[in-house]
Amino acid sequence: MIFNSLTFLLFFIAVFLIYWFPLKNTTRGQNIFLLLASYFFYGYADWKMLPLLIVATLIFYYLGKAIAGAKTEKQGYWFTFAGVALGVGTLLYFKYFNFFIESFASLFNAIGLHANLHTFNIIMPLGISFFTFRLLSYIIDIYRGKGQPTDDIIAFGTYVAFFPCILSGPIDRPTFIKQLQAKRDFDYDQAVDGCRQILWGLFKKLVVADTCAVYVYSAWKDVAHANGSTLALAAILYACQLYADFSGYTDMAIGLGKLLGLRVTENFKAPFLAYNIADFWRRWHISLTSWLTDYVFMPLNIKFRDLGKWGIALAAFINMMLVGLWHGANLTYLAFGAYHGILFCLLILIGKDRVPKHTTWYNRVIHIAITGILCVIGWVIFRAPDMPTASLYFKQLCSSSLFSVPAYHQGMLSLVSVISYPVLMLAAEAYVVYGEKHPKKNVFRVAWVRWIWYYVQVILIWLVLTHRSIDFIYFQF
Amino acid sequence: MSMEKSQILDEVQAIFREVLDNEKIVLANETTADDIEEWDSLTHIQLIVAIEKHFKIRFTSREILSWQNVGKLIDSIAAK
Repeated sequence: MIFNSLTFLLFFIAVFLIYWFPLKNTTRGQNIFLLLASYFFYGYADWKMLPLLIVATLIFYYLGKAIAGAKTEKQGYWFTFAGVALGVGTLLYFKYFNFFIESFASLFNAIGLHANLHTFNIIMPLGISFFTFRLLSYIIDIYRGKGQPTDDIIAFGTYVAFFPCILSGPIDRPTFIKQLQAKRDFDYDQAVDGCRQILWGLFKKLVVADTCAVYVYSAWKDVAHANGSTLALAAILYACQLYADFSGYTDMAIGLGKLLGLRVTENFKAPFLAYNIADFWRRWHISLTSWLTDYVFMPLNIKFRDLGKWGIALAAFINMMLVGLWHGANLTYLAFGAYHGILFCLLILIGKDRVPKHTTWYNRVIHIAITGILCVIGWVIFRAPDMPTASLYFKQLCSSSLFSVPAYHQGMLSLVSVISYPVLMLAAEAYVVYGEKHPKKNVFRVAWVRWIWYYVQVILIWLVLTHRSIDFIYFQF
Repeated sequence: MSMEKSQILDEVQAIFREVLDNEKIVLANETTADDIEEWDSLTHIQLIVAIEKHFKIRFTSREILSWQNVGKLIDSIAAK
């Protein structure tokens, strides 16, 4: 049940009405209902995986209590260790098992042994890394003394399975449980704001991402025969597609949360305005990077602290490798992580990882452009089906055909629209950043300008709705 | 706050100002990383190393990871 479907619209209208009318005065009733709605939503996608989600929720709920009630520090440590091993183990099994079997088989074959290893048909539960990360931060925070176990199993279950966020994040932290326990009153302004964000998310997904996807797909289909300029354009458009797709989904999730009176954590902060790679990772998929910072990077950093800058660089490199691997078992994801890891390390080692407070506008523009190009290169590795195709892509891109006209299959107009949609999206979001800094000059504060803008979005969405819908890229992670 | 802890706070504040290169930083027990722009996951470790060196102490990983604000950090130093 994807957000941009009629089924979801009907589901959400029903949830909204029951949540705010009969259940208005009972927070617990609202939470029980949200939990059931979340399980229905998850089960609707894949009912066979629902027991795993429920069992994992119960285990971690009681583990949290066991860690807090441990008689000795060592006992608490072992309970936490068991939970982490269980969570990470489940994740490894579903996401990476076949990859390891296949890698071993090809290794055996390479050294002349004939290995008859079978890969199992393991079906990965949707959103497994998102709910596992929520479960892990819950028990680790309790172990670190930063959080208390909750006695409210309903709120805990809702925190883990909250339907706007279960399939693609954002990854909320255990403080979300406190929000669920507090009484929620319907706030008209917050709800309207949520609707605006959902509209913008739909625009990004349906108009920008899905339009870019068609061009990107056709370029990748035949890399060997595509000219350099087509591949260069497709690389830029893929970066736009990925951003529009993922941040569009996130906007819808946050907007749905607002309609239910809940604040879902932010995931993006205009990453296309990043000053350098370190800054990019503070702005891209923030809920994942901040999670990894707290639970992987910081513990490593502490262990390596006697190594000075090299220790920080090593911790950052391992962290970036995990960011790559998190996307799945494929050498391209590993290479993507290593690529960003190396860039990140270089910044740390030369002491240029910070964003200067005062700098000239042209220095800022140059930095943003370089960071943008570096990211686009990274996304090519990320998008490639395998490493040979990635290197072929770069080889073709750097050929003399880079200076020819990019391919367009459905007339010049299609090329203009495929470029203008992402430009419109980036310009609008850059303007929002500007508008926040200069509220008096912000034209979106004028009602009629705002309304024209909503109509533009609705009309463009309506225009592209005749095209087929394409799944959200981040569901598979 | 005891005399000893307020003195530790002053010394820690001087370390923060030096490491983060900002003379305007003023620390209180309730201060967190959210309150100081330059204090992020990368500078955090530099601050810890500088504090350990200054007070000639060594924190455990769990101690460092359990701090929620400057006050908790001061408590850990005072307990050493």
